[in-house]
Amino acid sequence: MKFSIVINGAPWSSPSALSALQFAETVLDSGHDIYRLFFYQDGVLNSSCLCVPPQDEEDIPARWQALIESNDIDAVVCAASALKRGILDKAEEDRYDKSGHNLRQGFTISGLGQLIDATQQSDRVISFVI
Amino acid sequence: MTTEISYLFISRCSPYAGQQARAALDLAFTAAAFEQKVSVVFIGDGVLQLLDRQDTEASQLKNIGKMIPALKHYDVKNVYIHQPSLTRAGLKQTELPKEFELVDDEKLCKLVAITDQVMVF
Repeated sequence: MKFSIVINGAPWSSPSALSALQFAETVLDSGHDIYRLFFYQDGVLNSSCLCVPPQDEEDIPARWQALIESNDIDAVVCAASALKRGILDKAEEDRYDKSGHNLRQGFTISGLGQLIDATQQSDRVISFVI
Repeated sequence: MTTEISYLFISRCSPYAGQQARAALDLAFTAAAFEQKVSVVFIGDGVLQLLDRQDTEASQLKNIGKMIPALKHYDVKNVYIHQPSLTRAGLKQTELPKEFELVDDEKLCKLVAITDQVMVF
């Protein structure tokens, strides 16, 4: 089965971010496919390369990156949500003349249309609320 | 988009408690722009988004009340208000846009059952 997963919660601040990650890992371990991960609202914070969690806590953004890269998953971060919350790639850094960019490898910034596309192409869309 | 599927966006957050009210509307507008069949239901604190004369001058927040009429502009005709939520909030339907239909729990369950994609905000 093809799943898409929508992540709305920030890592650590919301328990749903880790739940979504664990679910995504289980989807793949169970032999299903992930069509797309879509990070919306506070969920965009899962794509930051600047998080430094305490050593005794899960590095959620790093785990997402590892999952995405080792399984070649399409991981989309909503552009409007990202800009507002300070998640930028190089293009946005240049466009808005900011001092840096922090989007992790493996993630792409794109629009809400990618979420609509995911709902069209997937057998199941599982949303983890904020 | 090659297929048309049905969406139901369940908006249950009050307009100014965070970004979820806005997030739900933005996604509803996007789905409508892609010519999908879009329905929205306002439930729980979400009914507060529909109140007239929201004044955000002092709070300096984005005025959600001014975004609601855009549903019509995007041709989103199926907009529902959860009646028990209205009662709990002490509101009358006359205080809200009259073109939106009231639904009870039974009707809401039917809407969820017939929709391809339900998303909750």
